[in-house]
Amino acid sequence: MLRVKDLTASIGETLILKGVDLSVGAGEVHAIMGPNGSGKSTFAHALAGRDGYEIGGTATLDGQDLLAMKPEARAAAGLFMGFQYPVEIPGVNNMYFLRTALNSVRRARGEDEVSARDFLAIADEAMALVEMKKDFLHRAVNAGFSGGEKKRNEIVQMAVMQPRLAVLDETDSGLDIDALRVIASGVNSLRGPDRSLIVITHYQRLLDYIEPDFVHVLVNGKIVKSGDRTLALHLEEHGYVDFVNDDLRAADRPLSGAAT
Amino acid sequence: MTTGSIVTPRSHPASAAIVDRIDSIEFPTKRDEAWRYAPHAKLAQLSFGPAGLSAPPVPADVDQQIPQLDGPTIVIVNGVVDRSRSNLAALPKGLAVSSLAEVAANEPERLDRHFQPKITDAFVALNVAYGTDGVVIAVAEGQRLETSIHIVNIKLPSETHNTSCAGVVIALGPSAAATVVETRLGDAASAAQNGVGGLNCRTTITLGANASLEHIVLQDLPRSQVQLGAVEVTQAERSEFRGRLFNLGASFGRLAYHIELAGSGARTDLSGLYFGRGDQVLDQQITVVHSAKDCVSRQSFRGVLDDDSVGVFNGGVDVRPGADGTDAAQSNANLLLSDRAEINTQPRLEILADDVSCKHGATVGQLNETALYYMRSRGIDADTARRLLINGFADEIVEKIGNKTLRAWVSQRLGHNDG
Repeated sequence: MLRVKDLTASIGETLILKGVDLSVGAGEVHAIMGPNGSGKSTFAHALAGRDGYEIGGTATLDGQDLLAMKPEARAAAGLFMGFQYPVEIPGVNNMYFLRTALNSVRRARGEDEVSARDFLAIADEAMALVEMKKDFLHRAVNAGFSGGEKKRNEIVQMAVMQPRLAVLDETDSGLDIDALRVIASGVNSLRGPDRSLIVITHYQRLLDYIEPDFVHVLVNGKIVKSGDRTLALHLEEHGYVDFVNDDLRAADRPLSGAAT
Repeated sequence: MTTGSIVTPRSHPASAAIVDRIDSIEFPTKRDEAWRYAPHAKLAQLSFGPAGLSAPPVPADVDQQIPQLDGPTIVIVNGVVDRSRSNLAALPKGLAVSSLAEVAANEPERLDRHFQPKITDAFVALNVAYGTDGVVIAVAEGQRLETSIHIVNIKLPSETHNTSCAGVVIALGPSAAATVVETRLGDAASAAQNGVGGLNCRTTITLGANASLEHIVLQDLPRSQVQLGAVEVTQAERSEFRGRLFNLGASFGRLAYHIELAGSGARTDLSGLYFGRGDQVLDQQITVVHSAKDCVSRQSFRGVLDDDSVGVFNGGVDVRPGADGTDAAQSNANLLLSDRAEINTQPRLEILADDVSCKHGATVGQLNETALYYMRSRGIDADTARRLLINGFADEIVEKIGNKTLRAWVSQRLGHNDG
């Protein structure tokens, strides 16, 4: 589904992603973990198409060249990004925003637009997934929302957009444990054989709720280690110390705490 | 400036008096603070004269622009009331609507205030001289009107002079309530061929004790035209004025509000939206005078300026001696869509009383790039995302319009295609 090869991203002289390779198959859940400043968010924004980066390498979604597309075309191709810091849009009604978004991608795919009435049913279902109150639909997008409400709203948007691939950037940051459970259960209910997930997180806590098939460690702009979810448990116990000091050879060394 | 000398015999005596000395009154210059950003070369091309005897025919495409509101409608074309286009059938009880010329002829004393204003500039004088027709609205004590009264002021090219004057007088008796909408339009096609011209309208409003008026000005003249105007309001105790200005059209769109809170406990809530493109100059000059105790005033204006357009917000609050307990606030927020667009925002506060709260704030910003990216990442194309953000900004003012049809008209005009 997603194939990323030697992806680089820089701002000015600063190289942030130094050649990332990642393949995500249909229905798989991949976690990308890494210390602060390792390039996790840049990876997500590079896929979503944020302006301001110099991008190299390739990234394809279902064979389509993502990097050649505008952000809106990437959404139409089936990519969804959950923002670490969802943006407040004063004056733009949440429901109108969501319906415009859904109908934009449907139009781009040559599908019929959804009527206001049919949309209401779609939105109701999406909101129920993360236990969001109905009046949120009638408020401005994220304006005055609490941190938790904003993150729930990201999942509502994901549920409405029904993406092929969702990249969730630190969806767990700033959440208390109850909100984390609700959001994780919302995400889990959106898992399916045709939908893949990349979950970006600093802490393994989220992965207790959204169980990944693969875990990748991103350090200093490169994936230095990949494994199954036991890798996340290792990081929980030992931190990133094995990878940050000499990341290029880290993969060859036994991990801290490993039986010798 | 060219002026005529014939005045209709039905005009107010003050009109006749000022016509005799009109050529001696000089146009404002860049040195006048209130006219600093005006396109003076354009103003110099304006010509004035007495209104014709009858209204010229209105082209169909101008007719189609007029918002269709329920309720009484008075149409003024080139400064003359067009009776065939007006609809004054079945006026509600307690509402009297007459033409200004009619009242000037029969009961001129009712118009003394309107025709004897402070002559702050040549355009006020010209309006007194040639704004001999228009509308007089009187709402009797205690009458609270459900439907709005719509005054449509249309400017069409004219052979005698390029600028038309008109007057509107609104008087609400004690505890009366009404909504008056003033729409100002023109014919873009013929106006473009005929060069500069425009409208010079003055509205004089008197509110009795506890009266409440919503007054909306929808200025959407063609881009080749100039709109000059003034709204003068005098409020008795505990009356409420809700003014809404949509300053959208004209190459130079200027409106000067002078609002006096003359009775204690009176409230004024004035908001406006100016939306400039091309080389439009949209100019709002506001003075709110607190001359009684415990009055409240709000000025809240938003501007969206694209291309080479210029916005002016000159918002004043004068708190006179004895107006203790004044609560005044003004805010002006601007969105600049181009590097070349310009906003000139200036608060003027003069406080000569005690226990006064006067707040003011102005902001100037650009479209939020992060918000644009966020919306695009949800599949919304860049143009639509921009439009949503701009409309979201403007909606704060648009939503203040009580009348649904009118609100929809303004939204449509601003390029919303869905509600």
